[in-house]
Amino acid sequence: MLLPFIIAIHAAVAVLVPPLIRVMGSRAFLVASLPLALSAVWALVQAPAVLAGRPATASVAWVPALDITLDFRLDALALAMVLLVSGVGAVIFCYSAAYFHSDERALGRLAAVLVVFAGSMLGVVTTDNLFALYVFWELTSVSSFLLVGHDDRKENARRAATQALVTTAGFGLLMLIGFIILGQIGGTYQISALVADPPVDDPWLPVALVLILAGAFAKSAQVPLHYWLPEAMVAPTPVSGYLHAAAMVKGGVYLVARLAPGFADVDPWRALVLGFGLATMLVGGWRALRQDDLKLLLAYGTVSQLGFLTVLAGAGTATAATALIGVLLAHGLFKATLFLTVGVIDHQTGTRLISQLSGLGRRMPALAVAAGAAAASMAGLPPLLGFVGKEAAFEAFVPGHEAALPPVASGVVLTGLVAASALTFAYSARFVWGAFADKYTVSERRFPRPSRAFVAAPVLLSAAGLVLGVLPVLVDPIAQAYAAPFLTGGHGGYHLALWHGLTPPLALSALVVLAGALLFWRRRWVARVQNAMPRWPAAELGYHLFVHTVYSTALSVTRRTQSGSLPVYLGIILATLLALPGVRLLLAVAGGDVALPVGGPSFRWWDNPLEIVVAVIIVVTAVATVREHRRFPALILISATGFGIAGLFVLHGAPDLALTLVLVETLTTIILVFVLRRLPATFNVRPNGWGKRGTVALCAAAGTFVATSLWVMTDARTAAPISRGFADLAEQAGGHNLVNVILADFRALDTYGEIVVLATSAVAVASLVLLNRRDRAAGAGDTGDTADEAAGGSDPVPAQAGALAGGTTRSDSGGTSEPPRPEEGG
Amino acid sequence: MPVNGSRPDTPADGPTGTGPPEGWEAPRERWLSTVVRPAFGPRSVLLEVVARLLIPAILTFSVFLLVSGHDRPGGGFAGGLVASMAYVLRYVAGGRHELAAGLPLRPNTLLAVGMLLACGTAGAPLLVGAPVLDAVQYKFTLPVFGEVKLLSALIFETGVFLIVVGLVLSVVAALGARMEAEEQEAREERAGRRPRGGATAGGGGA
Repeated sequence: MLLPFIIAIHAAVAVLVPPLIRVMGSRAFLVASLPLALSAVWALVQAPAVLAGRPATASVAWVPALDITLDFRLDALALAMVLLVSGVGAVIFCYSAAYFHSDERALGRLAAVLVVFAGSMLGVVTTDNLFALYVFWELTSVSSFLLVGHDDRKENARRAATQALVTTAGFGLLMLIGFIILGQIGGTYQISALVADPPVDDPWLPVALVLILAGAFAKSAQVPLHYWLPEAMVAPTPVSGYLHAAAMVKGGVYLVARLAPGFADVDPWRALVLGFGLATMLVGGWRALRQDDLKLLLAYGTVSQLGFLTVLAGAGTATAATALIGVLLAHGLFKATLFLTVGVIDHQTGTRLISQLSGLGRRMPALAVAAGAAAASMAGLPPLLGFVGKEAAFEAFVPGHEAALPPVASGVVLTGLVAASALTFAYSARFVWGAFADKYTVSERRFPRPSRAFVAAPVLLSAAGLVLGVLPVLVDPIAQAYAAPFLTGGHGGYHLALWHGLTPPLALSALVVLAGALLFWRRRWVARVQNAMPRWPAAELGYHLFVHTVYSTALSVTRRTQSGSLPVYLGIILATLLALPGVRLLLAVAGGDVALPVGGPSFRWWDNPLEIVVAVIIVVTAVATVREHRRFPALILISATGFGIAGLFVLHGAPDLALTLVLVETLTTIILVFVLRRLPATFNVRPNGWGKRGTVALCAAAGTFVATSLWVMTDARTAAPISRGFADLAEQAGGHNLVNVILADFRALDTYGEIVVLATSAVAVASLVLLNRRDRAAGAGDTGDTADEAAGGSDPVPAQAGALAGGTTRSDSGGTSEPPRPEEGG
Repeated sequence: MPVNGSRPDTPADGPTGTGPPEGWEAPRERWLSTVVRPAFGPRSVLLEVVARLLIPAILTFSVFLLVSGHDRPGGGFAGGLVASMAYVLRYVAGGRHELAAGLPLRPNTLLAVGMLLACGTAGAPLLVGAPVLDAVQYKFTLPVFGEVKLLSALIFETGVFLIVVGLVLSVVAALGARMEAEEQEAREERAGRRPRGGATAGGGGA
């Protein structure tokens, strides 16, 4: 099967597109649409075999040890999604070629990320492994983040992008936990195997399902997590049309639909899916009715439709499954058409507010007809695909139609569906009226006519909705193939068709049209009711509260733990050392578990009498360092201690260690001298008192503990040292210097990690300097001479530390209003 | 570069032909390549001479440590430290302009090249199906040197070497050169500002 290859082509094209944009301008989008067209054509070619019940599969091993394989499986549901993702996507890409100006900022990045998104979405809908699904899923979240934040100089774009990412990826983590639980209790991470043989008896299954549904609901913008979708409308319109109508937001619905055949009967699946879906449908429709911005109207309409799809996907009955495929394709086609229409209107007239548009229907008749047909499909009018899907949906919830649903529940759901459909009709009508009607109160704008190529995309998509509506037999096989697992034998399946005879759903459709028309006709009255309703707490509030709590908690924790005082940090570290292992050692020695190795067979005072000399040097310099009050002599003394230790290494036959230590000591001494230039000549000496005594006691205890534990530990060897065979191994590896062979060969991975740390700290040092500079600039601009003197002249190192700890330097340097001391710099 | 401003080997008083050419007694080059302005303290000729004489030897020694590390004390880390010591010496003797003149690459470039070398040696064995960081050795005979042993670990060590040099140079640049430059900036600012704000700003210091 070609699929992994096709996804790889997406990645390759994503790399190639930015330079192409530079050469060809926005026409490069036509090239970028090629992989999408390729995958749509490929899916169509596979369709006969897939619909005959032979899914196309492929498998690429990725992490075999963790049971992570890139399994791909194209079945009926995946086929429908691929047609949406790649087919509609290819059309939107062609439209983008006309929509974007070639001099648009960062167009190359936009195009590349869009292709990456298309590839990962293709992966989401075709993969058969839970982990691979998660990876592709989060790739779509990340690319959506980049696309929503495309205009990264606008604050609201950045905020909307972050909000979408935090919401979808945050709940995606819950979903990952759900996946892992599901995989563990099911014994496999292969989705088709899990659905075919669900671990229904396991008590953990409901937990896993709830977590997975949380992720799916966040992705598909279900109430109360729907807030991110309208916010994400700051993205360019083709992006909104593709991500937030046709493809990405369907990811959650897809996941629900994917798992429904196996898990729909497990409690609390149906309650959650039907409850949240219905609520979303109603809230979305209600909010869409009062939007003035056409794009926001569509966004809330999308929220409503996603609720509808979730209800259908999760219901877990054959008719609902049939309806799902119909509505899924219909929604992809009509919503993309409408978004692209808004894009054309916005592009030509410069506004998309209903209150500023008038007479567009006369000026752009082709667009108006296409959008009208799409809106009619959304409203559920015959002979369009939307009508076919909605009929099937009503049929699915007629009480008594499906045995799996209790009649009361079906009745409630059906009522909700009818009410929401009436709202849908009303906002569809409002869209067409708002975009194209002549309004006597609004003056007409002058605008250039859109080019034919620009309008072609919405017309094409709208026509596709019409054709599939007239000929539902083209869609029906997919729906039947997806619904087949739900059939429980009893009755034959429901087929997608325009005419089923005089059935209850037809009557309901008529009712919807009537109620919807009434709502639209009485729109002033509806608006008054909406305004009079008490305002619900916005769902966004939860998000803001959450983010604010995280920030404030982080701030207060940082403020409490990061005092910025080195003695305090060291004191805490040493006190912990003494409190945990120190007390343990003391207890062990006191209890007699560990004997101090005095006088044992392996106990010697020294190996070489010279060690005594070196030890005396170390002790004397160490004591002198502590007693020294001037910084520079203290530095020299502590270096002497270091050189003394290097001497011990030499005496013990470790020239490598000694060499390195000498070099490091020399370098640190020199670098510390650089720093000392800027520090006061003497330490701030603590006054004699309990504070000083405490410090002395703490340090003495820590030193004693380290010495004692080393002493005990070196004697406590019970197993043979691992290094015994190293000499021979080093010969094999081609070196005689054991230390070096260990560093560069045996433990090369450790060394590798260490040099990464070195490089990172080098970069950190550089940024520390930048930080200090920027801070100085800000301080100088702010408080003038004084701050400048304080930051530049007296103590930059504490200033840097303060800036690291929490950005408090400015207030520090502003507060320390020392008189200028020119003699210190020179 | 001549010290006295005229090239010593051009006979300035050629036509007369009497006496030695002017400036013949001056050295042809300065000890260090830039105008010497030590980082701190007065200028020290002794230090300059020592730096000039020792730096090539130190750098050679650092490469020796790097190459011989597999059989004798040394290795990439120690070699890198020694090499960076040469630059630190140059900085101490000649100041930040001297340091900048002596750097073949910027510290960030050194870090990047070092990381690339280390990552390359770590990842290359994967291409032939061997585990990460797998080492190979290669022996051949050169005319003068006799048998020479090349280890892939040497490339890894070179990466370590460059990263160590890069790290030390960034630290020196940050804590030494940058601070020195800032001090000078502050001095100039003060010097420029005193005439105008002498009553307020200069009052405390002067």
